[in-house]
Amino acid sequence: MKGFWRAFARNRGAVLGLLLLLLVIATGLLAPVLFPFSPWDMRGVPFMPPGEMGFLLGSDSLGRDVAAGIAHGATVSLMVGAVSTVAALAIGVSLGALAGYMGGRVDDAVMRFTEFFQTIPSFVFAVVLVAIFTPSLASIVVAIAVVSWPPVTRVVRAEFLSLRTREFVQAAEVLGRSRTAIVFREILPNALSPIIVLASLMVATAILLESSLSFLGLGDPNMMSWGFLIGSGRSVIRLAWWMSVFPGIAIFITVLALNLVGEGLNDALNPRLARQR
Amino acid sequence: MIKDPRALSRRTLFAASAAGAVLMTLEEARAQGIQPRRGGTLTTMITPEPPVLVLGVNNQGPTLIAASKIYQGLIKVGPKLEIVPELAESWTISDDKRTYTFKLRSNAKWHDGRDFTADDVIFSIMKFHMELAPRARQIFQRITDAKAIDAHTAQFTLDAPFEPLLLMFDVTSCAIVPKHIYDGTDYRTNPANQKPIGTGPFQFTEWQRGNFIRMRRFDQYWKPGQPYLDEIIYRIIPDSQSRRLAMQQGQAQLAAANDLEPFDIPQMEAAPNLEVLKTGFEVFSPLSWIEVNQRLDVLKDVRFRRAMAHAIDRNFIAQRLWFGAAKPATSPIASGTRFHDPNAKLPAFDIRAATALLDEMGLRPNAQGIRHSVKLLTLPYGEVWTRLSEYIRQALRQIGVEVTIESTDAGGWVRRLGAWEYELTVNFVYQYGDPTLGVSRTYISSNIQKVPFANTSGYSNPRVDELFDVAARAAEPEKRAAAFKEVQSLIIADQPLIWMIELLFPTTRDRKLNFPSWGSSGVHTCFDDVFLAA
Amino acid sequence: MSGAGLIGFLARRAGKSVVVILAIVVLNFMLIRLAPGDPALVIAGQSGAADEQFVAQLRAQFGLDRPVPEQLWIYVSGVLTGDLGMSHRQQRTVASLILERLPATLLLTGAAFLLAIVAGVAMGAWAARRVGRWGDTIITVLALTFYATPLFWVGLMLVLLFSVQLEWLPSFGMETVGANLTGFAAVADTAKYLLLPAVTLGLFYMAIYARLTRASMLEVADQDFVKTARAKGVPEARVQRAHVLRNALLPVITFAGIQAGQLIGGSILVETVFAWPGIGRLAFDALLQRDYQLLLGVFLCTSIMVIVFNLITDLLYAAVDPRVEVGG
Repeated sequence: MKGFWRAFARNRGAVLGLLLLLLVIATGLLAPVLFPFSPWDMRGVPFMPPGEMGFLLGSDSLGRDVAAGIAHGATVSLMVGAVSTVAALAIGVSLGALAGYMGGRVDDAVMRFTEFFQTIPSFVFAVVLVAIFTPSLASIVVAIAVVSWPPVTRVVRAEFLSLRTREFVQAAEVLGRSRTAIVFREILPNALSPIIVLASLMVATAILLESSLSFLGLGDPNMMSWGFLIGSGRSVIRLAWWMSVFPGIAIFITVLALNLVGEGLNDALNPRLARQR
Repeated sequence: MIKDPRALSRRTLFAASAAGAVLMTLEEARAQGIQPRRGGTLTTMITPEPPVLVLGVNNQGPTLIAASKIYQGLIKVGPKLEIVPELAESWTISDDKRTYTFKLRSNAKWHDGRDFTADDVIFSIMKFHMELAPRARQIFQRITDAKAIDAHTAQFTLDAPFEPLLLMFDVTSCAIVPKHIYDGTDYRTNPANQKPIGTGPFQFTEWQRGNFIRMRRFDQYWKPGQPYLDEIIYRIIPDSQSRRLAMQQGQAQLAAANDLEPFDIPQMEAAPNLEVLKTGFEVFSPLSWIEVNQRLDVLKDVRFRRAMAHAIDRNFIAQRLWFGAAKPATSPIASGTRFHDPNAKLPAFDIRAATALLDEMGLRPNAQGIRHSVKLLTLPYGEVWTRLSEYIRQALRQIGVEVTIESTDAGGWVRRLGAWEYELTVNFVYQYGDPTLGVSRTYISSNIQKVPFANTSGYSNPRVDELFDVAARAAEPEKRAAAFKEVQSLIIADQPLIWMIELLFPTTRDRKLNFPSWGSSGVHTCFDDVFLAA
Repeated sequence: MSGAGLIGFLARRAGKSVVVILAIVVLNFMLIRLAPGDPALVIAGQSGAADEQFVAQLRAQFGLDRPVPEQLWIYVSGVLTGDLGMSHRQQRTVASLILERLPATLLLTGAAFLLAIVAGVAMGAWAARRVGRWGDTIITVLALTFYATPLFWVGLMLVLLFSVQLEWLPSFGMETVGANLTGFAAVADTAKYLLLPAVTLGLFYMAIYARLTRASMLEVADQDFVKTARAKGVPEARVQRAHVLRNALLPVITFAGIQAGQLIGGSILVETVFAWPGIGRLAFDALLQRDYQLLLGVFLCTSIMVIVFNLITDLLYAAVDPRVEVGG
C-alpha cells in the first residue's frame, strides 16, 4: 500500500487530480450546508451576472442560483457517473470473466455479442434508450451502462485468458476448488488493476455522457445536474454566458480530475509503464 | 463580391417599371404613404421543419406558415377578425342563413398553368379536407348541398344556420387545392405532395431537408404586378440561439411563432433594426392551461383545482417566463376570440385562499410540509415549457403540493394525453376565432374521447353542453353571446382546468420588411403585398 | 497478401457483416416499438385537432394496424431488397432523405476525423520527442483539456467567441443560401461554415490521438529494433519516421477504426449546436417524432458505416504492419 501511494504520488498530475476530485466531492456533500435551499428555488431577479445580488455565479432565467445548482448538481453528476459505472462493470466483468475463463464457444459467443454492441454508435444508442424509456435517473443510468460495458468485457477477458493458465490457478483447479471460488478468489483479484484504471475513466465518460443527454433535453427533470444547467443556459448564452460557462467548467474539472487520477492509478498499478514518464 | 453588372442593371430597370405599374393597385399601402418596391429575397425561418407543404395533408403550425404562401383560402381574416375577400371576390348569404354563394376570382391560375375554377373549390371542401382534416370534417359535414353555378360561382347549403362558417374558409382551415391533381388519388401519398401546386403568389421551387425551403414569385398571380418579393427562403435552424443571431445580424428578416424563445423578445425589441409585433395570432388565440385529469381522486375535487389555481401567479408566468410574449388568461375564452367576456374573472393569486381550501378538504401538511403529491407531465415543445413546469412545481410546493415532473418527447406526450394517462399536464390549444370552432371541444362531454385535443380531462356539466349547443345552432350573434357569457361563468366556477396564459407568439420583422396589411392571422397570409424597402 | 486472399477475406467479412446488420435491424425495430406513442399520434397531436378516424387512417396508411411480427417481416424483406421504406412524416423514401443528408455528415465527420488524426498524431509525435520538456507538458495538458471538455460546450464557447464576439465566422448552417455560388467561391463559402463544427467535433478525438500516439511512440522507442537501428547509425529523424512512428501508429489506427463510428454520435450534438443539416439531427428528430422507418434507416446506414470503417482499419493495419495477415 505504501509503495502504491509512493508510485501514485510521484505523478504530480495525479495528486492534483485527486485533490480536485476531493474538492468536487466535498462541494457535493456540503451543498446542503453551503446552499441550504432547493436549487430550483426562484430566489431573485433573473439573469443577474456573477457577484450581483448575492448570486456568486449569477442567476438563471427564473432567478435561480447558478452556484447552488452547480453545488447540488455535483452530487447528481458524480452519482450518475458512479452508479452507471458500477452497473457497466457488473455487466462487463461478468461477461468478460465468462468468456475468458470458459473460452471456446462461450468465448466466441460473448465476443460476437460484444462486437455487435460496439457496432452500434454508442451515443446514438444511449439517446434512443433514454428517449424510449422516458428520461429519468434510472433510464439514464441504464442507458449509460448499456453502452459502456463492451470495453470492460474486452479487458477482463484478456486478463482472464492470460491468468487462467497461470500456476496458481491451475493449482486451485487441481485442489478441486469450485469455479466460482477460482474466478472470484483467485483470478479476479489479480485482474483488478486494469479494471480500476478503466473504471476511473468510465466515471469520467459517464459524466460527459449524462451532460450530453441532458443537453439534448433528455435529462431527469427532477434532478439538477450540470448537463441540465448547460442545456438550460444554451439558448440564453448571449444573454447570460455564466449559465453555460460555469457548469461547463465544473464538468471539465471533474472529468479532468478523474482522468488524472486514472493515469496516476495506472502508473501506480503498472510500474513498467510509469518509468517512461 | 463581384456581381454581374448586366444582371444588376436589368433587375433595377425591371424593378422600377414594375413598381410604377403596381402602385395603382395597392390602395392600403398608398394610403399609408408606403411605396412598395418590387424585388428582393425575403430570408426567414421555420421552426420546426414542416413534414410536407400541402395544407390538409398536414396542418401543423410550421406547415401553415410556409404553405400559406403557396395556397390560398376563399377568404382571409382582417385585423379585427372581419372577413376579407381572397379567392372569393364576393359572396352572398341567403335570408335563412343556410346558403352561401361565392363569386370566385376569374383570373386566378394554378402554378402549373391550369385555370382555377369552382370545381376546385367544391373538391377542396367536400372531398379533400372532408377526408383529411378532422376539424374541417366536423364543420363541413353540415353542408348538405354543394354545387358549381358556373365556372366561377360556387354554392353551399347547410342543414342549419352556422354563424361562424366563413371563418372556416381561411387558408389555415381550408386551403383550396387543385382538383386536377388530387381527385381520385390517395391524397396523403400523392407524389405531387413533394411539389405543391397552389394559386398563391409564390410557387414552390426547392426544399433541401434540414436546410431550407425556397419559393419564388409566381408570374401569373391573379393580382397584377404582385407579389413584390422575388423569392422567399425559409431556413431551418434547429438552434434558437442561431435563429436570434440571424435576426440580429440581418441574415434573416422575419421570425415568427416558435422561431424565437420568449426570453429573446426583449432584446429584439431593443435592436434598432428590428420591430416586434405582438399581434397576428388572434385567429388562433392559443390559450395555455394545466390540464387536470378529473378521473383521479383528489384531482376530481373542485376545491383542489381551485387551490392550485390560487397558487399559480399568471402575471409572473406572462412577465417572467414569457417576457411579455404572453398575457395572463382571464377567461376560458381568450381575449382575442369572439364572445370573450371582459368581465370574467379567474381565481386570484392567493396562497392563503389556496391553503384554506386544502385545509377544508382535510389535506394536512406532513412533517415535510407536504399535503399531497401529484405528477406533472411536461409539454415537450421547447425550453420555455420546461421552465413553466419547473415554475409550477415550485409554486405548488408553496401550498404543500409536491409535484414530480415527468419528462417526455412529442410522441410520448401525445400518446399519454390521448390515452388519459396523466395526472396534470400543460397544454395549449388554438381557439380559431370563435368558441364554437375552438373552445367547446375542450369542455363538451360528447367530445370525451381518447384522442389528443378532445375533452381529455373528462369534464362534464350538462348545462355547459346545452349552452355550447345553443350557441352553435343560433343564427343571431346576440343569442350566441348570451350563451357564451353564461358558459364562461359556469366553467370558471367548475374550474376543470387551470388557465394560465394567452400566448401572443410575437412576430419579429426587420424594419426593411413591410407588411401593408398586417392582420389577425399575421404570417399565415400569402404575403402578396409584402415588400422589402431598399 | 494475394489478391485471392483479399477477396476471400472480404467475402467472409461481408457475410459476417450482413448477419450483424440484420441483428441490429431487428433489435432496433423491437426497441423503437417500445417507445410510447406512434407516428400517427404525433401527427395528430401536432395538427392541433384530431378524431379517431384521423388517427386510424394514418395508422392504416403507415401499416401500423398490422401485427408487429408482420410489420417486422415487411420491413426486413424490404431492407434485403434494398428498400428502406417511406418516412411516415415526410412522405418521401427513407433512402432519398438519407442520401440528401448524408453528404453533410460525411463532410463534417470526415473533416473532423482528418483534423483529429493529422493534428493529433503530429502533436503526439512531437510531444514524444520532447518527453518531460515544456513542449511535451503543454501538449499533454492541451490534450487532457480537450479530452475532459464536453463536446457541445466547446461548440457553444467557439460560437460565443468567433460568431458572437468577433463575428468572424457564421454560427449555423452549411452554406450561404441564395448566394448561388459556384466553383472556388462555393467551396470557400462551405469551408467558412465547416470550420467551427469540424473543430468542435475534432478536438476531442484529436486529444485522444495525441495521447495515444505519444504513449505508443514512447513504448516503441524502447524496443530492441529501434535501438538496433540507432546502433547501426541510421539518422535519428529517419529512425523516428521509419521505425518509431510507423509502429506507433498501429494502436492509433485500431482506435481510429472504432472511433470513426462514434463520430456519428458526436455529430448529433454538433449538428444541433451548429444547425448542420446532417443525418445525426435527422435521426434525433425522427426519434422524437416516432418516424420509425426513417430512424431505422439512419441506424442501418450508420451501422454499415461503422462496419466499413472497421474493415478499412483492418486493411490499413495490414498495410502498415506487414507482420499482420488479414484473416477471418
